[in-house]
Amino acid sequence: MVPAINSMLTRQTVQMTLLRNTHIWKRLALPVLGVIGLAGGLVFASLNEGVSLALEAATPYVRDGFKIREDNWHGDTKAGVPLLVKHQLFRGNEYWFWAATSFPDSTSSVGVFDEKGNSVSLEAFAKDGKSGVRVLPTKTGTYFIRVIVNSTQHTELDWGLVYGYR
Amino acid sequence: MNCLQYSVIFLTFFTTAISRAQGEAKAPDRIDLSSFPGQIVKDVVIPIPAEVFAVLDKVGEPDWESGIIHVESEVGVKDRGFLAMSFGSLVAEGFIAVQAQSPEDIQKIGRRSLVLAEALGLENAVKQHSLTVIDSAKENQWQVVRNELDKTQQTVRETMNQQRDQQMAGLVSLGGWLRGTNVLTGLIAADYSVDKAELLNQPDLVLHFREMVAGLKGPIKTSREMTEIETGLGRIDALMRENDRFSVEVVKQLHKITLGMLEQFYFDGPGN
Repeated sequence: MVPAINSMLTRQTVQMTLLRNTHIWKRLALPVLGVIGLAGGLVFASLNEGVSLALEAATPYVRDGFKIREDNWHGDTKAGVPLLVKHQLFRGNEYWFWAATSFPDSTSSVGVFDEKGNSVSLEAFAKDGKSGVRVLPTKTGTYFIRVIVNSTQHTELDWGLVYGYR
Repeated sequence: MNCLQYSVIFLTFFTTAISRAQGEAKAPDRIDLSSFPGQIVKDVVIPIPAEVFAVLDKVGEPDWESGIIHVESEVGVKDRGFLAMSFGSLVAEGFIAVQAQSPEDIQKIGRRSLVLAEALGLENAVKQHSLTVIDSAKENQWQVVRNELDKTQQTVRETMNQQRDQQMAGLVSLGGWLRGTNVLTGLIAADYSVDKAELLNQPDLVLHFREMVAGLKGPIKTSREMTEIETGLGRIDALMRENDRFSVEVVKQLHKITLGMLEQFYFDGPGN
């Protein structure tokens, strides 16, 4: 499993290296990229930088038997505006969700709620733009994952959310 | 403005800046879902069959081997959309074979995925994944196989999305979910318990697929096969919403409905 996530990280890291300072690129380079017709591929890469960091946050949990999903959620959002993701969870599995933003001096926070809006988060952390939350669903069904990314210096931030189960 | 007013303004500014810098350390205990003050993310991540299979393994000893069904050739479907659904179903078949820890079955499925990928024009994207699946199965590296199957499906969907073919990407997911649900209902019905049946409580996923199918474009939308699949999704949706607890009869009904839907594009059967 560790080699598998390393491979995921390597792929993501290559994308990350391409646009190491995404926030600068976003301000300066995107119009140029649009003109030269490369925007599609590179914007895709920049969108995934939050995911790369979320996967980094997930790495230690892989050793504890968590299987990390390839599929994920990501995008750009305004600082401080909560994002809500709907997702199916199964009672009997244990889940971790990891969120991240790549901007320096930024933060992320992630929480999980049941269909009535009550928190079901058992354990959480937030550090250096990365955050995580552990959930043991008491019922199989739809849950809501709330992500917030924030910054004192930027109004628009990237974000990524990944999850694992065991 | 007096000194106190300046202090209040300063403190307000200071605490706001601090709280923004720290972010929100702890999520609230409760949120109002009826008027959520933010952005609702529309992207839906479909759980892979392995997620739900993992639970079934914890609550019993399902006969995974009995769930594997090899499809040797396409069942007369011509539309590329049905090939995409078949690909998703085949990946789900792979997850079943991983649970059964059957190297021979996995290798067959890996080879078949190459054939389907070629028919979809995605052989370059899929080849390495399929080869890794085949090689890892030979060495009984089940976790690697499971990861690679997830990657295979993800790569196909990403490639389709990059080709601005979101419709096809959604159909891959639908095919995978259908086959996964079909085997799940079969195994639960064979050794029923309320706890196992609860795994079928997935009404929002069904709603997602219903909306996706309703929004399909092109000849596939009006095809007889897709009409049957759309009807099947409607029946599954009704069963999931009408029942708080899924009885063994309901589980059997769900199995029969999913089988009928798979016979439209994946299994040989009366639908063809």
